[in-house]
Amino acid sequence: MIWYERDQRCIPAHHQPACLIDLALSRGIEQHRLMRGTGLFYDDVLAGQTRISPEHFLRLLQNAEHLLSAPDTSFLLGQRLLPGHYGAASLALSHAANLQEALDLLVRHRASLSPLFAPRLVHDEQYLCLYWIDSCGAGTTRRFMAETCQTTVAAMCRWLSGEHLPWHFLFSHAQPSYLEQYQAHLGNQLHFNAQIDAMIIAREYLIKPWPRAQSTAGRIAQRDALTEQASQAMEQGFLEHIYALLQADARQPASLESLAVQLGISPSTLKRKLHKHGTHFQAVYDQVRKHVALYLYWSRGLTNEEVADYLGFHDTTNFRRAFKRWTGCVPSILKPLA
Amino acid sequence: MLSYWKFHRLKLLSIITCAHAGLLSYLLAGALKPLDEFVILDILGEGGSAMMAFIWICLILKSRPAGRVTTLLTAGLGCVFFSLWMDFLDEFMQLPEALHWDHWLESTPMPIGLLLLTIGLYHWHREQLGLNQQMRKRERLFREHLHFDTLTPLSSADYLKRQIELERKRYLETQQTFSLIVVDMNDFAVLNRVHGHAEGDRVLQAVSQLLIMNLRQHDLLCRLAGDRFVALLPNTGTFLAQTLAQELERAVRHFAYKSQSHGETLTLSITAAVCIAGDESAEQVLERLQSALAQAKQDTLRRAA
Repeated sequence: MIWYERDQRCIPAHHQPACLIDLALSRGIEQHRLMRGTGLFYDDVLAGQTRISPEHFLRLLQNAEHLLSAPDTSFLLGQRLLPGHYGAASLALSHAANLQEALDLLVRHRASLSPLFAPRLVHDEQYLCLYWIDSCGAGTTRRFMAETCQTTVAAMCRWLSGEHLPWHFLFSHAQPSYLEQYQAHLGNQLHFNAQIDAMIIAREYLIKPWPRAQSTAGRIAQRDALTEQASQAMEQGFLEHIYALLQADARQPASLESLAVQLGISPSTLKRKLHKHGTHFQAVYDQVRKHVALYLYWSRGLTNEEVADYLGFHDTTNFRRAFKRWTGCVPSILKPLA
Repeated sequence: MLSYWKFHRLKLLSIITCAHAGLLSYLLAGALKPLDEFVILDILGEGGSAMMAFIWICLILKSRPAGRVTTLLTAGLGCVFFSLWMDFLDEFMQLPEALHWDHWLESTPMPIGLLLLTIGLYHWHREQLGLNQQMRKRERLFREHLHFDTLTPLSSADYLKRQIELERKRYLETQQTFSLIVVDMNDFAVLNRVHGHAEGDRVLQAVSQLLIMNLRQHDLLCRLAGDRFVALLPNTGTFLAQTLAQELERAVRHFAYKSQSHGETLTLSITAAVCIAGDESAEQVLERLQSALAQAKQDTLRRAA
């Protein structure tokens, strides 16, 4: 598995960045102001060969947010991003037979379909949850990214399924002053301060056939997308890669050193890389254990003692203290959604 | 960004030429004062005033289309600037006692400039009254340009919330309820995908104009978010609000919008919902309005099925 880092030129400028540029230009923003600090020129985008780093893409997003200075920028961008024009993965997505297939494709090809914020899937008997991991260190752009990504998936599903799917939207940030934008673009099932950026839907919608799918074309596109992915040899961002490694061994205690061994790099290199992405080991590790604990509470309905035991805490008091540190609240006030 | 610079090159050029001519005539006729005769306070005061006058000229030229009012304001401010500029140069240069034109150049442009500026401001005031007439139904008694919507010629949700709070205050004084209509376009996302986002933007602009034309003089229309609009109807009951909402729905259904790319007619439709409000915060009112709209949307879907 090869990961990409924040300063690696891995995002084709004519993919997602071009959607953002089109949106900004259509609102009368000047090219040079939009692309300030990104090392990008419009002619490069048109040439279709340039790649930019996640860092520069994030800068472009910040510039657009600042210059457009309207609360609907993230939602408008979200409506344009998927299924997109990002090669075979986009084609496969637009021929997805149902929601299940679309989400599987989205997760498998997340490096090309959603390079900055990685979608991940988890489900139980009743619900499916698509949650997002910041894979390149979004920093202050985090809320913007969460709005964009969730709008992207909701708008794509609406377009491909031909109906309004009853998603629940969870956001880790507090309710913003422009709630009406969320309501107009996403709907009324909104939950803020939810500890996680996620969207949840009942499983019955997973296998309902979608009208636009063409099965043969879709299968060929899926095969091509896998070939393309193999040739690019990049599956996930650095932070998501670490998240996945830690999550797989969530029951075992982990440390910076053990993680460095797993990655095959020295602890000081790992520390430097984490710092470059605007975070540190404890923050990522806490996030992983918080997500696991929430899943166990919400989906499996485990008790405090069981969750503490699962995560390797020796007593519940310790666990409660840790949980308070991760989330800012005690476990008992987190009620399941349904 | 709409900018009017290119219509005003000549005006700007002539002001700069005049300033240069003044400088040249001083340089030709006089000599530089010795350093110990410079008065820092005067230099800063007069130089700063001249700079301010020039900034005003730039702001006016950047924001106004060419026309009588613009010409008057620029000419007036140009004279003021010239007078202050000569005053400023005077601080550095010593002219022979026998010369008098320097005094004339300092003093005459100022009263002429102020006179022109006054005439310009009077006509600007008349122009503003005309514009206010055009802005009716888009704002009520209060203007805040930070609350303008970026796409349509309407005000944004923030402005609406403020107006709802004002109506609430009025309700507490007079017990007169007010109503709101929320309007949401049907299948707007599909229109965006099929005809492109630029066409979607144009549809929103056209629909906002259409909705305005179907409201009464004292109603206010704002763009809430995306394809969602809210009309605030002061002193209006539910029955009348519902009638108005139905009229809006009918107006949009009969609207033959032509796409810009191929000129074909796009069929548009909206779903409208109303709610009556009195002593509630803007958030509560909008919350109720959103649930009323969700209900109305479901009813529409059920009827279609």
